[in-house]
Amino acid sequence: MKLSHYTIRNLLFPLFLIILVWSSVFYVLIMHEIDDETNDTLENYKELIIRKALTDPDFDYSYSNEMTRYRIREVDPATAKLSENYFYDSTTYIETEMEDEPVRILRCYYMDAAGRCYELEVETSTLEKEDMAETIFWSIVVLYFVLLCCILVVTHYVFRKSFTPLYGLLNWLKRIHPGKNEEVYEMNTKVDEFVSLNKALVESVHRNREIYNQQKQFVENAAHELQTPLAIVTNKLELLSENPDCTETQLKEIGDIYNVIRGVIKMNKSLLLLSRIENRQYPETTQVNMNELLHHLLESFTAVYEKRALQIQLEEKETLLCKMNESLARVLIANLLKNAFVHNYEEGVIAIRISRNRFTISNTSNNAVLNKAKLYSRFNKEGTASDSTGLGLAVVKSISSLYEIEIAYDFKDKMHSFCLTFKN
Amino acid sequence: MKILVIEDSDSLRETIIRSLEKERYVVESAANYQDGLAKVSDYDYDCIVLDIMLPGGSGLALLQELKKIRKRDSVIIISAKDSIEDRITGLDLGADDYLTKPFHLAELNARIKSVIRRKQQDGDLDISLENLVIYPDRHTVYVDEQELVLNRKEFDLLYYFVINPGRVLEKSALVESVWGDYIDQVDSFDFIYSQVKNLRKKMKAAGAIPEIKAVYGFGYKLVTE
Repeated sequence: MKLSHYTIRNLLFPLFLIILVWSSVFYVLIMHEIDDETNDTLENYKELIIRKALTDPDFDYSYSNEMTRYRIREVDPATAKLSENYFYDSTTYIETEMEDEPVRILRCYYMDAAGRCYELEVETSTLEKEDMAETIFWSIVVLYFVLLCCILVVTHYVFRKSFTPLYGLLNWLKRIHPGKNEEVYEMNTKVDEFVSLNKALVESVHRNREIYNQQKQFVENAAHELQTPLAIVTNKLELLSENPDCTETQLKEIGDIYNVIRGVIKMNKSLLLLSRIENRQYPETTQVNMNELLHHLLESFTAVYEKRALQIQLEEKETLLCKMNESLARVLIANLLKNAFVHNYEEGVIAIRISRNRFTISNTSNNAVLNKAKLYSRFNKEGTASDSTGLGLAVVKSISSLYEIEIAYDFKDKMHSFCLTFKN
Repeated sequence: MKILVIEDSDSLRETIIRSLEKERYVVESAANYQDGLAKVSDYDYDCIVLDIMLPGGSGLALLQELKKIRKRDSVIIISAKDSIEDRITGLDLGADDYLTKPFHLAELNARIKSVIRRKQQDGDLDISLENLVIYPDRHTVYVDEQELVLNRKEFDLLYYFVINPGRVLEKSALVESVWGDYIDQVDSFDFIYSQVKNLRKKMKAAGAIPEIKAVYGFGYKLVTE
């Protein structure tokens, strides 16, 4: 849900309430004002009538037209309350309109010079309150929707205008990837919140980048620094093994140490490779023929794993050409091949399909479906192969993302398959 | 044959020296840029084993100096850096070979021998061991002047054995030298067993005196008695 939609949704109900309350108050106020005005008019009229009645002996004691009427009758002085005005609403049948019309009536009493008391009733047509209420109701309804539309349009416009820098910032953030050098984002806004958000984000991104670089640097340096000690250990073992006094059992022990060291060397090399890929230290690219590369690698791998008697099904529909670093291409395919060989069982199957932009390798395995989330993370060993470094697929992933090759894992018909989709 | 080892790690330097002395080379050493440069300027060596990261300066700079004074000493760079640019820079500057740490002493020995052999340039040089003669450039082997036909891998294996006679060779050293870089993904080196078996059979059939012996759990050794 967009922020503008959210805001509008949240505005609807309070706006409704406010308008409801306001319209009620408005109605009461208007009615009160109208009554007030009518009363004033009636009082003025009353004064006029009384003055005329007291001075003019021919004065009509009753009069009526469409708008106003009055009646005067003599009353017992005992019932006359001389100083008071009574206002009330009533209806009168108007012949011209043939219906009852609302009227406002003022009843009062006066005394002439002779001491006789009279009751005067003055009435004037007034508003039809129901009509009024209805009119007000409909105007309010219209106002509500018009207001809503206006708010909708205005907020939409305002949001779009004022949030442009925010969306710019968001897009910039989406483009940020650790290890990728991203242009600095210049925010064009005077809004304080956005400015400080921008500042905070830029600082955080900067900090992250620094930490990432430090970490990368650390891995690289550590791996580099390990090379010489590893060389010393290997070479000392070699010297030791050349010693003629060495017995076969001792040689066997040395061989075992050797194997362990070799694992460390391999891991170290993979770590170095990973950090070099991430540092983009493989700038030179050529047009690599994946089919040829695969044949070349398959030959050596088959020789290496011939004991496993794996069945290789190769389906080459087209030639797959990719512009990339040749040694990385080799590492990429070699890692996938090795994966397929190592996690296989004896007399299992490896199926490789190559089309113009797709390389798919599937293998049988005793392993169940692999966890996609952890598949490419470093040192994740899901399989059964004990002496794997757990870096092979991390390297594959790293190379794929460097060249924007899409990689997908699937488990179908008891086959694990990796599919590379090239962007050529 | 005189060899200069320029390497700042004492332990590694000592190990290399001990290994080379076993091969009956005269070995001298330097631990930093200045000592290395002084030795290189004053004496001639058949081969210089040169580390890149040295206290006092880069090995690559030393290599440049060496070429400036027009020395024809062969240079093998040993470096912890395995980047292609460094390799190319080193070779462009006139190094004869580039070895990434960690390496096998047997491999270093093989490279030194090959570099020295190439430098002597007296046409087609052969390596002989008892009744076995190898012509590395032509990829041919003769036993008692009879050609022994080997495939490419078998030849490379035999060459590595012959260049390191009497030395116990660890399986992975053999594999890495013969099968090259891309095989380092492989977990098990058992496959070398059948390759060596074939080679051994062929050598025996041809009547070669040198014999490849298995060292259980470790690797192989070429013996000549």
